[in-house]
Amino acid sequence: MKLTLARKKSIVGLIFVMPFLIGFTFFIAYGIITTVRMSFSDVIVAGATSGVEMSWNNFVNYINAFTVHPTFPEVLGTSILNMIIDVPLIIFFSLFMALLINQKFRGRTIVRAIFFMPVILGAPAIANALLAARAMMVGGVSPASPEVMASLGSNLNVDVNYYLYMLSDLAIPETLIGYIVDAVHRINNIIIASGVQIVIFLAALQSIPPTVYEAAKIEGATPYETFWLITFPMVSPLILTNVVYTIIDSFTTSPVVTLSYSTIFSDYNYGLGSVFSLISSLAVCLILVIVALILGKRTFYQT
Amino acid sequence: MSSGTNLSNKHYVLDPKGRPVRIRASKHNKVNRSPAGNMLLFILMAFCGLFMILPIVMIVNNSLKPPDELFQFPPRLFVRNPTLDNFADLFVLMGETWVPFSRYILNTLIITGGGVVGHVLCASLAAYPLAKRKFPGSKLLFSIVVLSMMFSWTVTQIPNYMIISTLGINNTYLALILPAWSFGIGLYLMKQFMEQIPDSIIESARIDGASEIKVFWQIIMPNVKPAWLTLAIFQFQILWGNTGGMFLRSEELKPMQFAMQQIMAGGAARAGASAAVAFIIAAIPITFFLVCQSSIFETMTTSGIKE
Repeated sequence: MKLTLARKKSIVGLIFVMPFLIGFTFFIAYGIITTVRMSFSDVIVAGATSGVEMSWNNFVNYINAFTVHPTFPEVLGTSILNMIIDVPLIIFFSLFMALLINQKFRGRTIVRAIFFMPVILGAPAIANALLAARAMMVGGVSPASPEVMASLGSNLNVDVNYYLYMLSDLAIPETLIGYIVDAVHRINNIIIASGVQIVIFLAALQSIPPTVYEAAKIEGATPYETFWLITFPMVSPLILTNVVYTIIDSFTTSPVVTLSYSTIFSDYNYGLGSVFSLISSLAVCLILVIVALILGKRTFYQT
Repeated sequence: MSSGTNLSNKHYVLDPKGRPVRIRASKHNKVNRSPAGNMLLFILMAFCGLFMILPIVMIVNNSLKPPDELFQFPPRLFVRNPTLDNFADLFVLMGETWVPFSRYILNTLIITGGGVVGHVLCASLAAYPLAKRKFPGSKLLFSIVVLSMMFSWTVTQIPNYMIISTLGINNTYLALILPAWSFGIGLYLMKQFMEQIPDSIIESARIDGASEIKVFWQIIMPNVKPAWLTLAIFQFQILWGNTGGMFLRSEELKPMQFAMQQIMAGGAARAGASAAVAFIIAAIPITFFLVCQSSIFETMTTSGIKE
């Protein structure tokens, strides 16, 4: 059989994609399709091995989500609003940080190591370790024993207190502390959430050929012009990438996902929980499309 | 392009799209900022840096505190009487585990290593045709992958458990390794970075007779080294923190993180050992990270793009 060039090309492409595609079909796509099916059904889980029974129920789950469930519309709204506030802050902060730590200055190795902390602190293992350490500082009890925590009446969410104690240990007056703790609390969240984005921007900055900068320098471009005419256009494709990543990342920890998780795993209402997660995913999709349309026109692609 | 040369004597440069742009002639041709600006930047960075380093300082100090300081209220950041007793306690506890502690470490190494290498390879292989060798349906495939990233994995746990049972890989290492290979984020990141490689460099390799796999391995991968190292870091951290969850039931298959959590769950009596555990949990990813990130910064010297 003789193959056309286009055919050959697509076969080569498919061979490259195949390993990923097989795994994706089994472990990602199947899960999502099942979730979609669950959202239209009454779901009965018969047991871990015997599987799940689903029967069509005429959009009852969807109607319940918006009319019967007391908090879902509100939680969804809050999640989206939080996202709209946080995402631009995270993008600006991470681009700024990436630019700073990409520069050449004395002691930059240690500075880079410090500024990479959010990447590490975001990891689940470290987050757990930190939570344990913080709880110990405040209550002297490991958070892994919730009964003890509850009986002591202490709150697991001790972020603010924990900074407060640290600062008073560094002998900073208390009135000042109270004033900055609130600001810091927000900064802290943004820093923790921007680790991946910093690394992506850094990788983008590293892929700009130094010859371009040399040429600009020879032509007498100021740092300001160098940034807006070279650096910014060259990293602009990855700004969109980062926005997409940030939106997705901030949504996976948002209240609406927590709600759908607790609906499925605490109330065992699989149908309703699936609806929550589907609707929130669709909302994120919609926002992404809008953002992509706005940013897409301003993005410069190297050809 | 020709207009650019005509304008060259009037302080014009070409922007990346090839349009001439007028530049302000700076009076002193110095690229450096003023001392005041430098100072301001330094203060800003010091402030941000302080908050980034605090948790690590706290973990290190906590692991060195004797019990009376651990339970002191209000707590102190810095240790007064440093001691290594916590680590000694931890080693005693490790010796008492049901399966040897080295087994937990081996499990973690297998799961993390298999997951990271497989994920980076699968994602890069798939990203190459999507970025540079478009075929019919490649756009649709990419949209589906991006769409899938919007789903929180927490919600699809039940179907995931079902499919892993059906495939018969429940309670094996594969139950954790194989799903890690197919996360959309890897494909997404690698495709975005590969798109930035100029086509000309691939064309020239092809003209010289390089096969597809050779182009991929010797041209594409070295050029996107920052990207796949970044990916390796993320994946390492996700898998490193994995406790085996519902997929690994046999004690001899559980990863180290599980054993560590058991020690931490010991409550107040084991507060010292827990602090030592927190130190070890934090130290290893930080080390891995530092090794990788220094390579990220060395990449440009090996890259071969010249336009």
